[in-house]
Amino acid sequence: MGTRPDHRSVDPAAAAMLKISDREGFDTAWMRLEAQQPQCGYGQLGTCCRNCSMGPCRIDPLEEGPRRGVCGANADTMVARNLARMAAAGASAHSDHGRKVALLLKEVASGRNTDYTIINPDKLLAVAGRLGIPTEGRDVPSVAGDVADAAIACFGAQSEETIPFATAYMPQKRQELLKSLEGTLAELTGARIGLMPRGIDREVVDIMHRTHFGCDADPLSLVAQTLRCSFGDGWGGSLIATECQDILFGSPTVRTIKANLGVLDPEMVNVLVHGHEPVLSEKVVEWARSPEMAEAAKAVGAKGVNVAGLCCTGNEILMRQGVNVAGNLLHSELAIMTGAVEAMVVDVQCIMPSLADLSSCFHTRFITTSEQTNIPGALHIQFEEHDANAIAKRIIQTAIEAYPGRNAAKVYIPQETEEAMVGFSVEQVLAALGGTPDPLVEVIANGTIKGVVGIVGCNNAKVQQDFFHLSLTRELLKRDILVLGTGCWAIAAAKAGLMNLGAQQLAGPGLKAVCEQLGIPPVLHMGSCVDCSRMLVLTGALADHLGVDTAALPVVGSAPEWTTEKAVAIGSYFVGSGLPVHLWPVPPILGSPAVTKILTESAKDLFGGYFFVEEDPAATADRMESIIMEKRVGLGLEKEETCSK
Amino acid sequence: MKKIFVDYRKCVACKSCETACAVAHHPGGSLFALVGDSRTQVNVRVLGVEHEAFPVSCRHCDPAACLSACPAGAISRDPETGAVVQTPEKCQACAMCAMVCPFDAISFKHTHQALPGREVAYKCDLCHERLIRGEEPACVQACHTGALVFQESEPQREKRAAASLKVYLLGEGGEPPLFSMYRELRRRAFARRRMEKP
Repeated sequence: MGTRPDHRSVDPAAAAMLKISDREGFDTAWMRLEAQQPQCGYGQLGTCCRNCSMGPCRIDPLEEGPRRGVCGANADTMVARNLARMAAAGASAHSDHGRKVALLLKEVASGRNTDYTIINPDKLLAVAGRLGIPTEGRDVPSVAGDVADAAIACFGAQSEETIPFATAYMPQKRQELLKSLEGTLAELTGARIGLMPRGIDREVVDIMHRTHFGCDADPLSLVAQTLRCSFGDGWGGSLIATECQDILFGSPTVRTIKANLGVLDPEMVNVLVHGHEPVLSEKVVEWARSPEMAEAAKAVGAKGVNVAGLCCTGNEILMRQGVNVAGNLLHSELAIMTGAVEAMVVDVQCIMPSLADLSSCFHTRFITTSEQTNIPGALHIQFEEHDANAIAKRIIQTAIEAYPGRNAAKVYIPQETEEAMVGFSVEQVLAALGGTPDPLVEVIANGTIKGVVGIVGCNNAKVQQDFFHLSLTRELLKRDILVLGTGCWAIAAAKAGLMNLGAQQLAGPGLKAVCEQLGIPPVLHMGSCVDCSRMLVLTGALADHLGVDTAALPVVGSAPEWTTEKAVAIGSYFVGSGLPVHLWPVPPILGSPAVTKILTESAKDLFGGYFFVEEDPAATADRMESIIMEKRVGLGLEKEETCSK
Repeated sequence: MKKIFVDYRKCVACKSCETACAVAHHPGGSLFALVGDSRTQVNVRVLGVEHEAFPVSCRHCDPAACLSACPAGAISRDPETGAVVQTPEKCQACAMCAMVCPFDAISFKHTHQALPGREVAYKCDLCHERLIRGEEPACVQACHTGALVFQESEPQREKRAAASLKVYLLGEGGEPPLFSMYRELRRRAFARRRMEKP
């Protein structure tokens, strides 16, 4: 089987599977993308509005046809409304994930759920400390109950106050800046334009309300609300997800795993967990590793049960349980095509409905488990937190029962795997530095490392799989820029070997020396896409340590190969938190000159953060380097000339 | 004679022309009537050619190769509008017309106009019945960006020549800058997907 590069993916394992797919005629995301061509320009420009039944209305980008919808909304209004709704959907997905974990923490704390325990009391105390919840002389369950209550209250809060998680975690200087911006905007417009999130759910509902027929038409206030809702995600829902998961399942610790399709074992029952939430998959891993299930697997002729992850469920369990990861988003179909997957168990988000049909070509059981993700053709095993053990066991048993149906003639597992050192939670990053950000600050200050870039995932069939992720990462390493990130980017980097110590050789001399001294790779895996909150917290810790605002830091964000509405929310909370953010592909905003200007130019003056779009990885790295140099000059770390060079 | 002119650079691939054509040629005359109806006839198709989109339909050539080639005499020219039109009852689906069509504008299926159980050739009829009523072809009426226009050829040619010269001589007019950027980024994205130099 050849492993020649393929125009659809730079991953040799993917290239091998695509060869099989082409031969067998399997339907893939890439084929469906071609079948969708040409895709509608109104949608790509953001100038199609379906918000009422006088529509749908479209605005002619060539300025020859209609310039206003039936209600009078122009391109600026439509684009801003559509963007706000994307962020609302993205923030909802992340935050609803956080809600479930917070509710589970409450159930465990109250003793109503005994299937889970609090693995990490240290983190619990740290979170309680941040939130100002007293811990002296109190037992773990009662503190956990208070932390859970504080988290749950952030969702439905009805007052005008900022949610406690945001006030407890967002750097003080940033909070002051956002509050003063609220004042400036009020002076400029006479209107109350809020930025600090009042309630996680409320900010989503606010967007759905103000984008309803006949409400907000002003691109500026719509964009402001987009940021506010996204803050409710980054400094709210996602953060709650990360913190409560760390309390329940343990904070990630540094460990080595294997990544890519080669982690599937030809002689074992292979169970893939795919989606985003670790609540079920933690239990699946626990049961798969149990002697009872190993015996059951042996009874059907397998050597045991092998669990591997996909997407962010994969990221969650590799960070905490050291489970190998089979791939990122565009690997999900390819994994089933190996013919060696007994069960794909999915929870929520980024699960392509195509997986049900594809699984039916094999013995693979495609198992949906969430009330929010029902897919025709799937086997649905309803997950209930209070009965987690029994359900996880039943899932593993279902996989074992499928094993005798495996057709050896259909099995092909690409041998590619790479080792990856993962598990860099903020706690672990600080531990690697010796407990304080000082050493990192010092190497950045003296220019050994120029700055930091945080990259977040997705794959997008419009971009050669992993191409942008990997090219950009390699370019940044060469420039002595530390790269960290989450999501499908992190899996791409792991698959390509950028997260093992050997990758130090790809780094510029300064970064290489630092990584060698600390014994870490130059590319750090910080978790799943909700764990972008870890990047916010780390950025905040650096800013606080230096006594500056986050916007002053030589830190840039990027979402190359972005696909989901969640990425819109992530990009927005990074920008609102003061970080310049690169995007590719282009978001659907070019139909509006006003919104494009706000996001790419005005945002810089207001927030310090702004969006920029670039389609070439090397040019993106150049731009990031120049932004970093500009920030270094701002901090007095470089002279003006260095920057202009 | 007026013709349908295509300016592909203005086409945003919304496919409004396809939908409008289908409704105009459906006996039910409504969008909801044609959903799920396999006999629905769409005479214009927006084809994606890499990053560009092009609404393809019959050019109503004069002389028309299909008209000369049809052995059944099922293709004729409407004297009032100049449209090349088919008589489905006479069509024997021999596909001679499709073979000689330089634009691949002729398809075959069991349309509502066909005799029961018969596949026939079908293509754009220039909405000649609408034209008699003083309306424009349905696709042209549906196009918001001006990618499709229905005009006499000479004034259309002059208008386009003047617009191009305005850009060339005076450096004004042309596309709005963000739309140009969108087109350029779309072109580069496709080039990358084909592993060509952007």
